[in-house]
Amino acid sequence: MNLHIRIEAARNALSALGRQPISTAMTILALAIVIALPVGLFTVLTNMENLLGSWRNQAQISLFLHKDASPQAINRLQHTLAKTEGVVGVRYVSADAALAEFQKHSGMVAAIRTLGENPLPASFVVQLDPLRYPPSALQQLISHWAQDPAVATAQSDLHWVARLQAILALGQRAALILAVLLALGAVLVMGNTIRLHIAQRRDEIDVASLVGATRAFIRRPFLYQGLLQGAVAGLVAWGIVVAAFYWLQGPVDRVSALYGTQFSLVALTPEQGAVLVIASALLGWLGSLLAVGRHLDHTFA
Amino acid sequence: MIRLINVTKHYPGRHHVLREVNLHLRKGEMALLTGPSGAGKSTLLKMLLRLEGVSNGTLMVNGVDLATLKRRHIPAYRRRIGVVFQDHKLLMDRDLFANVALTLQVAGLPARQVQSRVRAALDKVGLGDRLREYPATLSGGEQQRVGIARAIVHTPEILLADEPTGNLDPRLSNEILDLFRDFHHHGTTVLIATHDQGQIDRLGLPVLRLEGGRLHTPEDYQ
Ligand SMILES: Nc1ncnc2c1ncn2[C@@H]1O[C@H](COP(=O)(O)OP(=O)(O)O)[C@@H](O)[C@H]1O
Ligand SMILES: [Mg+2]
Repeated sequence: MNLHIRIEAARNALSALGRQPISTAMTILALAIVIALPVGLFTVLTNMENLLGSWRNQAQISLFLHKDASPQAINRLQHTLAKTEGVVGVRYVSADAALAEFQKHSGMVAAIRTLGENPLPASFVVQLDPLRYPPSALQQLISHWAQDPAVATAQSDLHWVARLQAILALGQRAALILAVLLALGAVLVMGNTIRLHIAQRRDEIDVASLVGATRAFIRRPFLYQGLLQGAVAGLVAWGIVVAAFYWLQGPVDRVSALYGTQFSLVALTPEQGAVLVIASALLGWLGSLLAVGRHLDHTFA
Repeated sequence: MIRLINVTKHYPGRHHVLREVNLHLRKGEMALLTGPSGAGKSTLLKMLLRLEGVSNGTLMVNGVDLATLKRRHIPAYRRRIGVVFQDHKLLMDRDLFANVALTLQVAGLPARQVQSRVRAALDKVGLGDRLREYPATLSGGEQQRVGIARAIVHTPEILLADEPTGNLDPRLSNEILDLFRDFHHHGTTVLIATHDQGQIDRLGLPVLRLEGGRLHTPEDYQ
């Protein structure tokens, strides 16, 4: 297949699009919005995962010990904890250390002194990867530890991490379903646009086939139109997602400041953007392929 | 070059348009296909273009039996034929150059060759200096000449014309027919369908007359 035939077909496709700038722009925008929706949702979920990743290392369980717990019991507990799956660190905080820590962070040194003795218990601080367990199992694990004779109370901030993880998994599934449906929608939008183009150019198609145009020759400009509009729609969708995230970064900064952390949103990496553009070009191509298949066949009876 | 052996044609659900038609038009010959309106002249030309199939009998062009011609070989077959229509079928949103160039572009000719051959073809029909005009700005006779340029730009072996002068006055008709004669003299096989009796009498060409589904063929064309 000669290159100049393809170039001619591409020029043909471009000029056909250029003759109807408004309808071309509308098609591209409709496609872009349809594509931006699931992509935006995926990106939000990816960002939440990143956030979760940064929090999961800080997630810890504090097991406060009875004041009269025997050293043997404490030792046994430490062993059990260390051997538990998902535990990444166990740190023993003696009552004295807890007091020292407390005094360092609060100004209430004098108040505590008046108590005469150290009111704080010793504790184990267990660092656990919350994502190793489903939420219910995590709950069981913590209450199991709480029942240990050496333990007075257990305190954890892990539940919500696991719950968030479950919600994210749900969100990802939902985004996938949405993406499949909207991809189908994109194909239909493209197919319908190309169908209209074919109808408008019926005379040209008939004359071309009379003077010996092959099926491939006739459909090529339409396929290029689909490919091109799809690719541009992908670029616009990328722009929409980036703009939306840029707009969201301000509020996110304020929220992070409240939590004393910093979190910057990542819209789409250049690689993801390239994949987005290629995928939507393929969707456009597929839509026109379907339209061309259905509406050119009778020309070649 | 064109050979029909007992060719019969009927459209679905209709009586026969052509019955056992026999014809042998040799290479380089020129003939008129005549008969009243509805006699089946256009149908016969469409069969030659492989736009319509043969119901029965054999239709051979250049030794190829059109009934056995594969679908994917139809485009290449059509590129060896030039065709002119009464309504010229020009694309009104393309200039003359683009209209004529289409025939060469579908064949995949490089742009430079397309340029020179389209110019030559339009020169031949006397419109060489109007490449960038649009069909709507042309008179009926001029439009038909563009149609002819499009039909001969690729120097086809066979030139078919369906009532090519149907919309033109006698003087313009003669100009157009002179063009066909010219191509004929350069070796092209030409078959022109017409129902215009005046034209038929004037031209002194062999006449193949269709009537009642039968073709009255002179001895030499059997
Ligand atoms: N596509 C078609 N379907 C059904 N009947 C047709 C079709 N084309 C032509 N006919 C019929 O076939 C007959 C011959 O038509 P045509 O070949 O156009 O005659 P001519 O060109 O000699 O005037 C007419 O009766 C016409 O109505
Ligand atoms: Mg007719």
